[in-house]
Amino acid sequence: MTVEHGETSSAQPLIPLHCLRHAEPGPPRLTALPNGTPVWLATRHADVRQVLTDPRLDRATLFAPDAPPTSTGPNLLDDPEGLLNIDGPEHQRLRRTVQRAFTPRAIARWRPWVETVIEELIDDLEAAGSPVDVVAGLTRSLPIAVISRLMDLDGVDLQRLGHWSDHALSTSAYPAEQVRQAMREFYAFSEQLIADRRKNPGDDLVSSLLLAAAETEGVTEGQLTAMVCGLVVAGHETTMTSFGNALVQLLSEAPEAWARIAVDLADATAASEQILRAIPLSDATALPGLLRRAVADLEIGGVAIAAGSVVAADIRTANHDPEVYPAIGPLDHFAPLGTPSLTFGAGPHHCLGAWLARMELELGLHRLANRLPGLRLAGPLEEISWREGLLTRSPASLLVAW
Amino acid sequence: MSAAGQELVVRVDRTRCVGTGACTWTAPEDLELGPDGRARPLRPVSDDRPGLTEAAEMCPVEAITVLSAASGEVVAPL
Repeated sequence: MTVEHGETSSAQPLIPLHCLRHAEPGPPRLTALPNGTPVWLATRHADVRQVLTDPRLDRATLFAPDAPPTSTGPNLLDDPEGLLNIDGPEHQRLRRTVQRAFTPRAIARWRPWVETVIEELIDDLEAAGSPVDVVAGLTRSLPIAVISRLMDLDGVDLQRLGHWSDHALSTSAYPAEQVRQAMREFYAFSEQLIADRRKNPGDDLVSSLLLAAAETEGVTEGQLTAMVCGLVVAGHETTMTSFGNALVQLLSEAPEAWARIAVDLADATAASEQILRAIPLSDATALPGLLRRAVADLEIGGVAIAAGSVVAADIRTANHDPEVYPAIGPLDHFAPLGTPSLTFGAGPHHCLGAWLARMELELGLHRLANRLPGLRLAGPLEEISWREGLLTRSPASLLVAW
Repeated sequence: MSAAGQELVVRVDRTRCVGTGACTWTAPEDLELGPDGRARPLRPVSDDRPGLTEAAEMCPVEAITVLSAASGEVVAPL
């Protein structure tokens, strides 16, 4: 099922992410990863939440010597020293070195600056004239500008960072050896950045991470290196994916929602939450969900799972669980969400950058709709070229007109 | 401020809570994850102001509020 590199112009156009159908949630069932490894798939909201929060399920033992193979190929998320793959007290200690920079209040302080960046990017879009590629102009540029500022990456070759980020989340877009080479370069960059910031600390995220790590017992260089790479990648990929796919949905089928988002920031906030819930970040072809491994026998949704089993949390299906989110008709962008969506995960590995992503998405949508209320897709949905073979899928470019 | 004025009450918005468990590491005498994976207070009042303030400030979904037991005023997050 994996998408092969170079299929961008395949005869069968890919379905936009918001048009994908969702499976009916049900009790955990035994299925298999693309490589054949058996996996328990959780799909109901409550079950997915349990998989992500229950301490009897972890990430670290996915990489234990006795673990069945689960890797989709070399990628950043499978680094055993990455924050994602550490559990328990060690994870809490490591995460605290960066958590403070990502609290809702810490993120809110960046808001006026992020707004300025958005306005400048939209100025440039307007100056370029209709039609224009909104991915190059805004949905990719904004997250890169933000993470570069937070990490103080001024003077760093952003194209190289983008190249490394793409490879770091590749499933089939690039040959394994090419991914390994890109990862080696990426890690070398990270090690150099860490060495520089130790010598000349600033008020950036890398410096504050290093200061906090120096006061924390047991943090290794490998963990810091992986963390810096992780921050770069997270800043690049996921917000861009969500923003791009949101525009595909809004501009192709929701003009009334676009008009409301333009006028009222609160409406943009509500719409962002619904978009984050309803539009998945990927096709789930490489992995059926977020993986965990049972470290003890347990029960999920009435089903017995044996210690050692691999379990996948299917966030996409759980985010459409009719028990939690009654689905009547097309997406209501402004319906209050009630129960939080599982898009940012749950439990100890809940997305560190959730508030940053929310802020970029809601401000980006609000300002773009406000400045260009008549914005529309310049071409048909079938002609969108997608970024393929990565852990996420979003438009590689998106021509818009006004 | 009197000694009684130092007493704090912690509240958890259990709808918002996504069970990161960060608060249970920061304020282990006051907060734990219940069997449903959501945080819950362990005692009616507390005097661990530093621990609870940090728990409230660091909660990734702002599900924790710390109040003065005497006045009901919000102590954290501010």
